Amino acid sequence: MSFLKLMVKNPFRNKARLALAVIGIAIGIATIVALGMVTDGLKVSIEEQLKTGGADFVVMKNTTSDSSTGSYSIKNSRVDEISKIDGVKQAAGVYTSSRMVEGNQLGLAGIYQKDLNMLGVKMIQGNPFSDNKNEVILGKLAAEKMNKKVGDTINLNNVKYTITGIYETGNKELDSIGGLSLSKLQSLGEDEGKVDMIYVKINNNADLKTVTQRVEKTYPGELTTISSLEDFQRADDSLQMVETASMAISLLAIVIGGIGIINTMIMSVFERTREIGVLKAVGWKSKRILSMILGESVVLTLLAGLVGIILGFIGIEAIIIFSDTPLQLIFTPALALRALGIAIFVGVIGGLYPAIRASRLPPTEALRYE
Amino acid sequence: MNNGNIVEIKNLKKSYDDGGIKALNGINLKIRKGEFVSIIGPSGSGKSTLLNMIGALDTADEGSIQVAGNDLSLKKDLSTFRSQKMGFIFQLHNLIPNLSALENVTIPMYGNGYQSKEMTKRALKLLEYVKLKDKAARKPTELSGGERQRVAIARALANSPSIILADEPTGSLDSKNGQMILQRLKELHEQENVTLIMVTHDMKVAAMAQRTIKVLDGEIQT
Repeated sequence: MSFLKLMVKNPFRNKARLALAVIGIAIGIATIVALGMVTDGLKVSIEEQLKTGGADFVVMKNTTSDSSTGSYSIKNSRVDEISKIDGVKQAAGVYTSSRMVEGNQLGLAGIYQKDLNMLGVKMIQGNPFSDNKNEVILGKLAAEKMNKKVGDTINLNNVKYTITGIYETGNKELDSIGGLSLSKLQSLGEDEGKVDMIYVKINNNADLKTVTQRVEKTYPGELTTISSLEDFQRADDSLQMVETASMAISLLAIVIGGIGIINTMIMSVFERTREIGVLKAVGWKSKRILSMILGESVVLTLLAGLVGIILGFIGIEAIIIFSDTPLQLIFTPALALRALGIAIFVGVIGGLYPAIRASRLPPTEALRYE
Repeated sequence: MNNGNIVEIKNLKKSYDDGGIKALNGINLKIRKGEFVSIIGPSGSGKSTLLNMIGALDTADEGSIQVAGNDLSLKKDLSTFRSQKMGFIFQLHNLIPNLSALENVTIPMYGNGYQSKEMTKRALKLLEYVKLKDKAARKPTELSGGERQRVAIARALANSPSIILADEPTGSLDSKNGQMILQRLKELHEQENVTLIMVTHDMKVAAMAQRTIKVLDGEIQT
């Protein structure tokens, strides 16, 4: 039997304790995996939204500057002004809101019909809405969820809106909402004259960087441009907040898991004091005993890591399915490796003290242990 | 080391609890290579401490102890010395419960340059020597007390030691099994010419040795 096999075999002596220790650490790893899947999904979704539409970049309120009022709204007039900036081909104001519709929370995007191309909307049934009529189009997923078809109506603030078409963009979030005339949604939200973002398309011969710089220079401190995920993270700290929360939970999981593993391994070393004495008597070096206990600790946390990855994956998928949240989840090998890396780290850190303790046991004392 | 002595102890002193308990109080002892010696004495007489000193499990406070040509007070790497020169048999077999008899016998071989296959081959040979080859795959809980102690003997022989140290090897066995183990140890001594040092408090057991050393209050009685 190889030394590695011996290390793998030892943690399975006390199966109940092994199971409890594995579950304790696996929960932490599962949380890391679940949150990782959410943040990776958010990133991909944002990138998709930036790329799928016809827009080259998005203009948002600069909420990080000193001149910021804390409001995310942009004046309607800015849309026309930006469309006149050199190099800009098309600018589309978008206002977002949500309403309860027949028991479902429906996200809504207000945009002028002529600008629907900017969101990458492809009508798969019916036609787009008219700007001056009480008409709405639904994303494919929203229509499926609400069981609606072209010609049906939905109530928005007690006003009937006719569904004129069903669209698809390929982006889960955009396909889970509805779209209607910008001015109609602004008045529903009592936010007339304001948009949340402006989608901008540039001329074929224009340089993206030059145009975005022109926009930012025209409205210094007021507006910011987003053409990549990095720009989004700079302008919007919500993703950063999710990532920070994820890191904090990961840290907590490491600390709790580490304490759990210290406890488990101390118990194991304590129970095997006499055995460690025998190993020393037959000539095992302290270094070998240290590696054995440390190895056992890593075997345990590695197992917990694998269980945690499966638990996290199934758990978050189940939560998203049962809660009907239009959230895209991404599971990458990098995330799995990160989770296993954390598990190994917890194993090494948690196993270090018990391993040092075991390796330093004087053989005569260990052999006398009852 | 001269005159064919494998153990030479001069004025060996060892105390515990900051000198409060004097376990060994000036021991002088010589054991010849290939000799079968029993150390006898009542509980607390210091016989196990003496055995631990010879086995390099503990260090002396005073005096010198030379084993197999090595001055143990000067030797830094005692674990390698134990691994290469010593074989231990304890009163309680002290086998690792989750490992098979075969795997238990391989334990001292780790770190001695053996390949996994070589370890298995040698362990099987040793189990055959103690007539337990057919039970190689059994866990200690599936063996009788006598069988467990025979596995412990096989384990003690794993690295072909110069000296076998047995601390009350029959202490936890019934008389029949105890007799069988003693017979096995005697055969081992005769066939392999290995030096056998056995601690016991039983006069009958001690009488099986070529020489009996009596220890009382940390001193050898002449």
